[in-house]
Amino acid sequence: MMRLMLMMALLCSACEAPPVFAGEEGDERQKGPALGRIEGQVIVGTATRGRIVLFLYDAARPPPPVGTGRPLTFTVVSRESVFGAALDGDTGPFTAPFAFSLRGPGRYLIRGFVDSNDDFIPWYGVTADTTQGDVGGAAIDPVTRASRVVEIGVDEAGLPIPALDVPVSFSDAAKLPVDRPIFSVVGGMESVMLNGQPKVIELQATPINEGVMNQPTPAFLVRFVDDNADGVPDDANGDGIPEVWPRVVVRKIQTGPNPLIDENDVDKNGIVDAVGESYEHSNAPDDDQPDVVVLAAGFDVTEYAPALVDAMGRVKTTPTAVPRLKLVLQPRAFDAANPTAPQPIRAVPIGHYAITVIQQTGQTWRVPNELGLEDALRPVGLPLVSSQSFVIKVQ
Amino acid sequence: MSSRNSRVRALFVAAMLLPALVWADARVEARRHFKTGMALIADGKLDDGISELLEAYGIRPHPNVLFNIARAYEAGGRPAEALVFYNRYLDANPPDAEKVREIALKLEAQAPKKVTPIAPAEEPREVKRAPQVDEATVKRLDALAERLERAVEKAEARVETPAPAENKPVAADDFGVPYEETVVAASRRAQATLDAPNAITVITGDEIRASGLVSLADILRRVPGAEVMTMGLASANVSFRGFNQRIANKVLLLIDGRPEYQDFLGVTLWGVLPVGLEEIERVEVIRGPGSALYGANAMLGVVNVITRAPGSGPNAEFNAMAGNANLAGGSFVASGGDKVRFRASVGYQQGDKYTRDYANDRPDLISTSDDPNLGLRSARGNLTAFYAFNKDYSIALSAGVNRLYTELYALGLLRNYTLDGLGGYAKFDFTGGPVKFRFFWNHSNFDAKPQYEPIGQRSLATSVDTNVFDGEALFQKEFSLAGTHVVAIGLSARLKRVSWGYIGPLTQEVHAAAFVQDEWRIIKPLTLSASYRIDRHPLLDKGKPGYAQSPRVSLVVRPFESHAFRASFATAFRQPTFLESYMDIRTPVPGVTGASVLTSGNRELRPERLISFEVGYRGELPQLGITVDLAGYWNIVNDLIVLSAVNPVNPADAFDEPSQSFLLGRSLFTNDAQEYTARGAELGVTWNATKGLDVRASAAFQSVVANGRVSVCGPCTQAPAVKVNAGFIYRTPVNLDLSADLSFVTSTIWVEREPSPQDPTQITNPQNPLAAYTVINARVGYRLFNDKVTVAVVGSQLGPSHQEHPFGNNVNRRVFAQLTVQP
Repeated sequence: MMRLMLMMALLCSACEAPPVFAGEEGDERQKGPALGRIEGQVIVGTATRGRIVLFLYDAARPPPPVGTGRPLTFTVVSRESVFGAALDGDTGPFTAPFAFSLRGPGRYLIRGFVDSNDDFIPWYGVTADTTQGDVGGAAIDPVTRASRVVEIGVDEAGLPIPALDVPVSFSDAAKLPVDRPIFSVVGGMESVMLNGQPKVIELQATPINEGVMNQPTPAFLVRFVDDNADGVPDDANGDGIPEVWPRVVVRKIQTGPNPLIDENDVDKNGIVDAVGESYEHSNAPDDDQPDVVVLAAGFDVTEYAPALVDAMGRVKTTPTAVPRLKLVLQPRAFDAANPTAPQPIRAVPIGHYAITVIQQTGQTWRVPNELGLEDALRPVGLPLVSSQSFVIKVQ
Repeated sequence: MSSRNSRVRALFVAAMLLPALVWADARVEARRHFKTGMALIADGKLDDGISELLEAYGIRPHPNVLFNIARAYEAGGRPAEALVFYNRYLDANPPDAEKVREIALKLEAQAPKKVTPIAPAEEPREVKRAPQVDEATVKRLDALAERLERAVEKAEARVETPAPAENKPVAADDFGVPYEETVVAASRRAQATLDAPNAITVITGDEIRASGLVSLADILRRVPGAEVMTMGLASANVSFRGFNQRIANKVLLLIDGRPEYQDFLGVTLWGVLPVGLEEIERVEVIRGPGSALYGANAMLGVVNVITRAPGSGPNAEFNAMAGNANLAGGSFVASGGDKVRFRASVGYQQGDKYTRDYANDRPDLISTSDDPNLGLRSARGNLTAFYAFNKDYSIALSAGVNRLYTELYALGLLRNYTLDGLGGYAKFDFTGGPVKFRFFWNHSNFDAKPQYEPIGQRSLATSVDTNVFDGEALFQKEFSLAGTHVVAIGLSARLKRVSWGYIGPLTQEVHAAAFVQDEWRIIKPLTLSASYRIDRHPLLDKGKPGYAQSPRVSLVVRPFESHAFRASFATAFRQPTFLESYMDIRTPVPGVTGASVLTSGNRELRPERLISFEVGYRGELPQLGITVDLAGYWNIVNDLIVLSAVNPVNPADAFDEPSQSFLLGRSLFTNDAQEYTARGAELGVTWNATKGLDVRASAAFQSVVANGRVSVCGPCTQAPAVKVNAGFIYRTPVNLDLSADLSFVTSTIWVEREPSPQDPTQITNPQNPLAAYTVINARVGYRLFNDKVTVAVVGSQLGPSHQEHPFGNNVNRRVFAQLTVQP
């Protein structure tokens, strides 16, 4: 019996917490390394009501209008938790907590908006943006009021350090005056061919009010770019043509039935695929890396130029909403895999190209989009808008 | 005292004492002696044969052995001894008492003196009347008598031994063929295993105790064809002949006829059963469809746990255990009574998880448990009482409660959950001649939540409250009409009430069923069993009440006494669970706090369907102590209930107010359009090699294929092609008990739903390879104080650490000490 007791004592002395599953091959997704999180509060100063949608971006790939980055994730702060039973007209400020869970170490940007008309749906390009009346917001430095980079660091033990108490501010100063720059190409064409000569097409702001699409006031917000605020339109590429908002990107899309996929971005994450199409560059050895093919294109705002400057001839700081814009397409292509140093491509790659208009507000619109897809491909519940299937063809 | 008298007395007294000695599987051992004895008697070796019969009787008293001894003595011209044993037989109040009493009276008339029940007073003249007994035999019997006399003296020196079993009431079922294994699960009445219309495996309580294992699921690994998938310490999934899964739902577990199937989820909580393993008399496992008798959910098999009858077994038993990883437990079982017999028990068990999914203080995840190490905690109590008004009328009442904490690995995108709550039951049985009534109430009240949740993500914690009320009437009658028929007719109704955050407000269903079965013994070696059951389910007809029919036909041929060949056709079904019919939850997309996947129940599901063809052979070579069980099956499975792909919701419904998140899509429970064929063979062999040593081995081979075109077939790759189990139990004559078993399962590939690691909003079905694994368990025990105290060291999962499912714990070693006291 003594031996038994001794044995039991030994066994009990071996009691210990179960080991942590180290994660075996094929199981990393379930029990992988520790991640971090971002927590903070939204601080909302507006009479606009609605749920708040927050987006998290890689700081290296900022969203429009600065860049073309796509959100890594998003979260929702309920209207109830922000505004509770606040009276109409009360501008707050209102606060509510938010969190981005399961984020790895890195540097991030946070953007968001108060969805004033509950029309944001993240799953479709045509619904995944702000519309008129929404109130924008961002994580900003409380002192400089500049956009703040939120960092999940790593401690000495290699564990991520959560980013906590991050404020994200919203105010009526960022209230959106118009809907997205929804457009159709004047003339009712399904496509236009670019064949060695410059081509001008005209984009018409086009309201869509059908089904979940309820954007009655699309417009192009036009102004000269004046980043250095000297009152003179910028000409960063030195081509003698002033830069303007909105910007336009004409990008080659994947060959195939689904025109929503950009070439070399099959997973639609905004990052160039590791493997893909590569084209011969004009002035550099071919790198065999997948290219982001864009056409040289820009808006011709000559007819609106007088309205874009003040009486002193200085660039107006506020944009002018216009219903039409002329888009000039050049038969030249670039590899914009590195957007800061696009490389010319020897020959314009054959294929189809999509037009994306980017407002200074960050609102975008792309054609072709889901509304132009044939029935079999178009998501159920989205209306068919034939003008939204337009493509630029290069043969 | 004459040598003859002393021999008879010594043999008989020794036989009474022998139950205290050691046997591995008492029934097998006794059967071997019985068969040997009968063969010797048939060869004219009367005394040798009778000594074997007495040996058998000593191992496990059976009234018919006494009858056979009496018959042998009578046929051998020794009426005095015959009378002794006829009288002993009559003490058991057998069904043929009247007839035997007449024989006894005749013998008394022949005998010059009245013979006492214990020892015949008259010196038998067996040598003259039994000339076949030669001198050598006489010497051998004399030697045996001397040895047994010494055993008697030794036994008398001991403290009081337990009363022989024959002093206890003997049920009518006990008057069958001696030591023939009987089961009740296959036909809802006691019958020889050889006559069972299904492939069936019996695990005795002795085997369970000898294994030292504390989980019924672990013990089921020894059933040919069983698939036991350990996810956590107290979380296991059990299936037969393929189709195992997280929340395995195609096997029905019954405890004394009461289902332990959790109707709301379709799962069995194998690790936290309301009764302790020490209370189990035997486990009968039907491998294959059982819906013809048990209705829904007995699709791939039935595990019927039969606990010790109230008043049987030791009057008191105390068990305690402690081991590594916080493993500890204990139980106390009391059993007794005279007019009103009872069994009462209390028990407690706890243990840490094999492995934790995550370390402490993660910056991204939080454990929702107070003790994140804990894998199992159960505190239970049971009371069963039985009262017999007379031979034909009796009532039984039982009730139990179980405060439990366990893990559960849920479906789809859900992972490791914990259940923390209370289970309880109450059951009433009435037997009145050929009619039996049964009523039970099953209750569960759990808090259920994911054990780990990302910080900042909406919680999926929920609570569930279920009540199931069930009543059944069963009529059984035997009659003759072109052979012998045993007819059973049953009616049952069940009310299920579930209140669960995942399905909405209180939901209830009323089910009803009727069944009939006829076992027709056309001629002696041939039995045809035909069963038919119809179940009414409130949703089976596209959301309206509908019916599921389960016929079964089986032919059993026993061309030789201990050999049976079986062919059967059966259908079975599994009804949609509450989860599958009514589920309505939004599962957060990992890492995308603003998005959820809606998982919806479907009220128009068809039941899962199985059509089964089976052939089998079961043979016993009692003199060698060998039993062979061979089965081959061909199963066709249709309408498996699965989760559909995540399909986009209508954009107008994209934002979900309850969860304040955007719905990435909706996954609906649906019937798989694919038809599957499962084919396989199972071989099980047990060998009572020598006294105290039982060796057991089994192998199962199977193939599951999709009958249509399919790019990835989960049920096909998830079914292990080969399962092997082998083990032994050796109860040595020096009070040392050894047992070990090994299970080997070949590799599988599990197709499970997961968010894409690159983009969690893409829900994918990757294939997760799972390596082959081996489970080894062993026990070393030592018996003290005339077996009243047993100490043992048990090792479970002694083989290499492994996973039995890609999401499960990394199963590793548990070693614990056990103490059993039977004062």
